[in-house]
Amino acid sequence: MIKIQNLTFSYAGSLEPVLKEINLTITDGEFVLLSGSSGSGKSSLVRCLNGLIPHFYGGRISGTVEVEGLVTINYSTAKLAIRVGLVFQDPENQLVTTDVEREIAFGLENLGLPRTEISKRLEEALDTVGIASLRYRSLHELSGGEKQKVAIASVLALKPQILVLDEPTSELDPQGAEDVLGIISRLNDELGLTVILVEHRLDRVIHLVDRLIVLDQGRIVADGQPAKIMRSQYEKLDKIGFGFPPLITLTQKLIKAGHQVNGLPLTVKEARTVLEAFFRAVKKPSSRINKKINKKPPGIPAIEVEKLWFAYQKEPMVLKGIDLRLCQGEFIAVMGRNASGKTTLVKHFNGLLKPGKGKVLVNGQDIKKLTVAELARQVGYVFQNPNDHLFADTVEEEIAFTLKSLGFENIATRVNNTLQRFNLTPYKKQYPRFLSGGEKQRVALASVLVAEPKVLILDEPTRGMDHGLKTSLMQFLKEYRQHGNTVIVVTHDVEMAAAHAERIILLSEGKVVVDGHKKEVLSRALLFSPQVNRILQGFEKYGVPQDILTVEETLDLLKEGGDGSVDNWG
Amino acid sequence: MKLNFRYQDKGTLIHKLNPFVKLAWVSSIVLLAMIFEHPLYLLLLFLATLPVVIAAKGWQEWLSLLRFVLYLSLVIIIINSLVMYHGTHVLLEFTFEIPTLGQPKITLEAICFGLGMSLRLLAIVSAFTILNLTVHPDDMLLAALKLRLPFKSVLATSLSTRFMPALIDDLGRLTDVQRSRGLEIDKGKLIQKIRSRGAVLIPLLSNSLDRTVQIAEAMESRAFGARKVRTYFREIKLTPFGLIQVVAGFLPLIFGLFLRFKGYGGYRYYPSLQKINLNWLELILMLVLVVLLLAILPLATKKRWSLD
Repeated sequence: MIKIQNLTFSYAGSLEPVLKEINLTITDGEFVLLSGSSGSGKSSLVRCLNGLIPHFYGGRISGTVEVEGLVTINYSTAKLAIRVGLVFQDPENQLVTTDVEREIAFGLENLGLPRTEISKRLEEALDTVGIASLRYRSLHELSGGEKQKVAIASVLALKPQILVLDEPTSELDPQGAEDVLGIISRLNDELGLTVILVEHRLDRVIHLVDRLIVLDQGRIVADGQPAKIMRSQYEKLDKIGFGFPPLITLTQKLIKAGHQVNGLPLTVKEARTVLEAFFRAVKKPSSRINKKINKKPPGIPAIEVEKLWFAYQKEPMVLKGIDLRLCQGEFIAVMGRNASGKTTLVKHFNGLLKPGKGKVLVNGQDIKKLTVAELARQVGYVFQNPNDHLFADTVEEEIAFTLKSLGFENIATRVNNTLQRFNLTPYKKQYPRFLSGGEKQRVALASVLVAEPKVLILDEPTRGMDHGLKTSLMQFLKEYRQHGNTVIVVTHDVEMAAAHAERIILLSEGKVVVDGHKKEVLSRALLFSPQVNRILQGFEKYGVPQDILTVEETLDLLKEGGDGSVDNWG
Repeated sequence: MKLNFRYQDKGTLIHKLNPFVKLAWVSSIVLLAMIFEHPLYLLLLFLATLPVVIAAKGWQEWLSLLRFVLYLSLVIIIINSLVMYHGTHVLLEFTFEIPTLGQPKITLEAICFGLGMSLRLLAIVSAFTILNLTVHPDDMLLAALKLRLPFKSVLATSLSTRFMPALIDDLGRLTDVQRSRGLEIDKGKLIQKIRSRGAVLIPLLSNSLDRTVQIAEAMESRAFGARKVRTYFREIKLTPFGLIQVVAGFLPLIFGLFLRFKGYGGYRYYPSLQKINLNWLELILMLVLVVLLLAILPLATKKRWSLD
């Protein structure tokens, strides 16, 4: 049992508290989802539970946190570890040893347990998480998802009654994330562990949890059963930029339009039952929607790839004969499993990699003949972690650096224009790395776009981003494209691709498997379709068009195709 | 070609050898390389490491590391010959003067001295490579603990080696980031080059600091420091035979010390190179040293060490 009373905390050196008057009781066996935008205090709250706050991170604290009867301020984190297990975001940076067995034993050794007890608990932990097969493997050979499972096992070995996970899936690919979430929910179901999960992929977990707690600016703004909160507090949470799963947004918009909906669906299955009535009324408008895929005449090519083969070492081949033509003004999402060659492919577009065999042309010029610096004026590349971009003393210098490297003139004017365009003028004299996540993302973007490249590549731009940040990033990309520029994103984010991209290129094993309009590629698939499409797949029998991907399209369909008869079914 | 310098269990006899034996053997070579001056002895030490590298199937990694040492040797030879003028055989004399050093001249002796030093470096690096390639980092940690080194310092050392590959990945990625922004790392004047390096090194440093904090958090959260006395799940057991192997590992050192004490293995470079004339006795003594050095190979085949 966790009991938090009047908890207020501010980090050393900061005046504004990150947590404000938190009151919370969590009973044994509950599965709690902790949510809120970045900077809302989730990570801080989680760190209060095992005493990292205030023992590891100093600051000003008032109120009490009591875990299993222990007031955390009186016990060190090391002592609390057998009661509260904490799993962190980055699998890479929470593993201490070099192989699986030693990693799981690490905590047990710290407790000074005898060797026989360690072996026993090691076996249990391996089996509980289902990683017995990984036992003798080196950690550096494991995938992100596997590493995260090892991290969970190594915490479980300490036999805590409470398991806390701080965004455990945000660094993982969809498959790894799915696996890890499956394990977490099983631990709650079968072992009765109390689980507190910080997670932004709501659509994956919302139906599994007993309770949803939403934080905003350090305060709890919603606390209760997920379905109830989604129903009664939708408007309020929407205002603070809460990222609802698409099916909740869809249902809420229907309710708002005055329709009667029975209950609030949390899964695709529930949604098919609850919303079926609406779609029975749709009168075969599929032909209309299909025509909307405007087969644009082939535009002016920005990047051409001809029979591209590439390998980092002699073996294995990472790209196997890729042929592509990317045109000016397109928004392209490059998708596919991990290690399918996505990043390797796009690194050819700005010359970071040179073709092993075949050709890559940027605006008609062979990249073999150009340096990365020469290409940087034509092709911008934004890496996943904005921190990797930032090194200068001020935001202003950070942006000017690109211009200086590329030998631009009128640097001051260009920097000022860019600062304004990205709403960064107030921060121009600040140290970039001390800014918030969203601001850092803007600085990184500005530092690339200041060179006015005609093509912009973004590698996993939305990974680990909250809803608000995603929305503003997409707004920037939209503006950027209005000038006929090309956007290429490498992503696992199906919902983002469905809402914003036009063309999807799907890679597998170094080959292009599908290349087409998103409506062709992302519809009728199993897991590779956005949530809305997966709901509508159940209504094909009523003639509901199968190429609908977003909430807006669905609402349009109901407005036009429903013959106004929706109300009759409500 | 990108090589994996991390420990890889290739299952060879050398990999299976008790870490203490390897530690003993490697320290013998390293210490002998430091006390011997004679190039022939240094060459022997270096050559003695080769069969072990081959037995450990590590020659590919070894070769690429050694290539780096060769570059370093070249630098040593050049610098040494440019600043040491004690030799008598002048090969080249410059007309200008370097303050405090005087008129530079390159002598045969200085070049030979540089070569001798390089040989010493080669032997030492080669020996350490064997240790790195064949001892699991965690076993190294356990061995260090057995030698009564303080746990926290040992752990810190082992963590820093554990994160070396991650650091190298980071470096590659950060270089890509800045190159994509038009940075040409090796272009421009010195000041510009230093600034360019900063663009990569500053994020590298900040990322590493972030990583340090995260690791510390994760360790605290897994009861690090909960008890004064820690237990160890695995332990390196030293069987009586293992002990014999360890002693055998130290034998070359003992014998080498004896030789040095008897006046063998010294060498004079300056002012002119000492003539090398070996008598039969010295040749036999050298042979004995080689036999002792290579004794590790037949001993390794004898018995596997157990890790509990």
